[in-house]
Amino acid sequence: MNPCHEYRADILLYLDNALTGRQLEDFRAHLSSCPDCKAQLEEELALSSLLRASRPLYPAPDGLRARVAAAAAGHDSARTPEPDLLHKARLRIFSQHVRHVAQRAFGWKTLTVTIFALVLCVLLAPAALRRARAMAYVKTAIATHRSYLNGELPLQIRSDSPKIVTSWFAGKTTFHFQLPISPPTLKGEPVYRLTGGRLVNYQGNSIALVTYETASEKISLLVASSTTAVAAGGEQVRSGGLTFHHHRDGSFNVISWTNRGLTYALVSSLSGSAQHSCLVCHQDIATQALPGRTTTGFVSSGSEKYGFVPPVFFIRTRYRCENHTCGVTLALYTCGRNSL
Amino acid sequence: MACLPPSKERNSLQPGWMFPSMTFSSEKIQNFSAALNEHFDGLYAYAMVLSRNRTEAEDLVQETCVRAMQAIGRLRPDSNVKSWLFTILRNIWLNQLRQRRTASTIELEGGDSTAELAVETSKGPHEQYVSKMERDQVREAIQQLSVESREVILLREYEELSYQEIAILLDCPTGTVMSRLGRARSKLRALLSETLQVPGPRAKGAAE
Repeated sequence: MNPCHEYRADILLYLDNALTGRQLEDFRAHLSSCPDCKAQLEEELALSSLLRASRPLYPAPDGLRARVAAAAAGHDSARTPEPDLLHKARLRIFSQHVRHVAQRAFGWKTLTVTIFALVLCVLLAPAALRRARAMAYVKTAIATHRSYLNGELPLQIRSDSPKIVTSWFAGKTTFHFQLPISPPTLKGEPVYRLTGGRLVNYQGNSIALVTYETASEKISLLVASSTTAVAAGGEQVRSGGLTFHHHRDGSFNVISWTNRGLTYALVSSLSGSAQHSCLVCHQDIATQALPGRTTTGFVSSGSEKYGFVPPVFFIRTRYRCENHTCGVTLALYTCGRNSL
Repeated sequence: MACLPPSKERNSLQPGWMFPSMTFSSEKIQNFSAALNEHFDGLYAYAMVLSRNRTEAEDLVQETCVRAMQAIGRLRPDSNVKSWLFTILRNIWLNQLRQRRTASTIELEGGDSTAELAVETSKGPHEQYVSKMERDQVREAIQQLSVESREVILLREYEELSYQEIAILLDCPTGTVMSRLGRARSKLRALLSETLQVPGPRAKGAAE
């Protein structure tokens, strides 16, 4: 038997971040001494990078969402409606059929039109409206961050313990989330430190402000239900199956994204144009640096620079392009999971 | 050829992790609507990969959304909504296949022409990680794979489901998922190495 045969499966497991502990150590040790397996892994990573860079494979047609929303409300007549007719159809659907369909589908007489319509509203929201809602969230994130820096928004819970801060938020918001327990490290040093959090009002809803700090800057993170806030517009970077939206406002850099029913807005004051240019101009590098959903990357060369961390973590990606090396806080990748 | 367990009756509305007694809540509706929106493109891509037909794919997505909304009350709080939605779509597709089943064979590879599959995907300058030509070549290569290879590639590389999640979705062992994925990746590398800068499968140890 080929001595490397048993490691072929490990390569696939490695790509799925399913190797841990002793298995992972053994695999890495084997890679360091086996050019064939190392080359094989690099080929697999190259293929994954190419495939993921070609996303979306098939974007949904523009009219499909409206058609689905209409069908969901009991109508299938909106297959190819004219825009104004579509708008009227939406209103008609909401006013005449939602309650009937809801009661037929669920059998709950108390189900209100408003609640059920939320499902359709999300699907029907036109792009312009989504962008407007997204900008409102971005501006709120910046205003909140500015107030926090100025001391106008004192933290209601001060702790560097994710567990304590998570517990404090429990029951105070309409959504649930859990802060990552262990942050990844750069050369053994934590890349950030949790400092606390507080509630912030956003369009009549209580959403979460979570604050972090690094050695040189303070970072704030807004967390809201994705039905309350959306992420859209700006400069978009797809990575790890998510789309990150970058907005720049003065000295503030805002990265927003939606994942698992929560919409995040990360605000920081990244200084230096080089850092910014790396993030904006070298997205191909960013893509290569994040071949999987649970990776944080250090890009220089080869594939042995990937450090795998749990799926709930803070990404800080260091880019090294031809001209310079810089560190960029890319995103809090997945801070929690909305319950459903 | 897809693996279709002939004797196992599938019900797209009753995956194992749902309970009819689940309490309904407005929060659940809100979260569900967000999840549906978040995975809408992914559902359509999965439908396209399975059916290779735009009209069929749209019908599949529509039916999936309608059935999911009808079944939302049975979702558990800790359910993986994404996997649940994809499972519903797949089960609808499988049921449709069975309905079309002839005496001994299932036509999986019919589909429409390549032109039918050619859709513009670029949405902005920052999504141009690969050129349109490369994207089309990737898409064309994937369409040359068997349906089971196409779906594991889609679920793993595009939707980034874990092997375990894929195994649950496909109702097969994790090892089967890995072997299918290994074969699919090897075949895909061979197809793409002819046109793109992707190393082809290695002479030894290649799965296929």
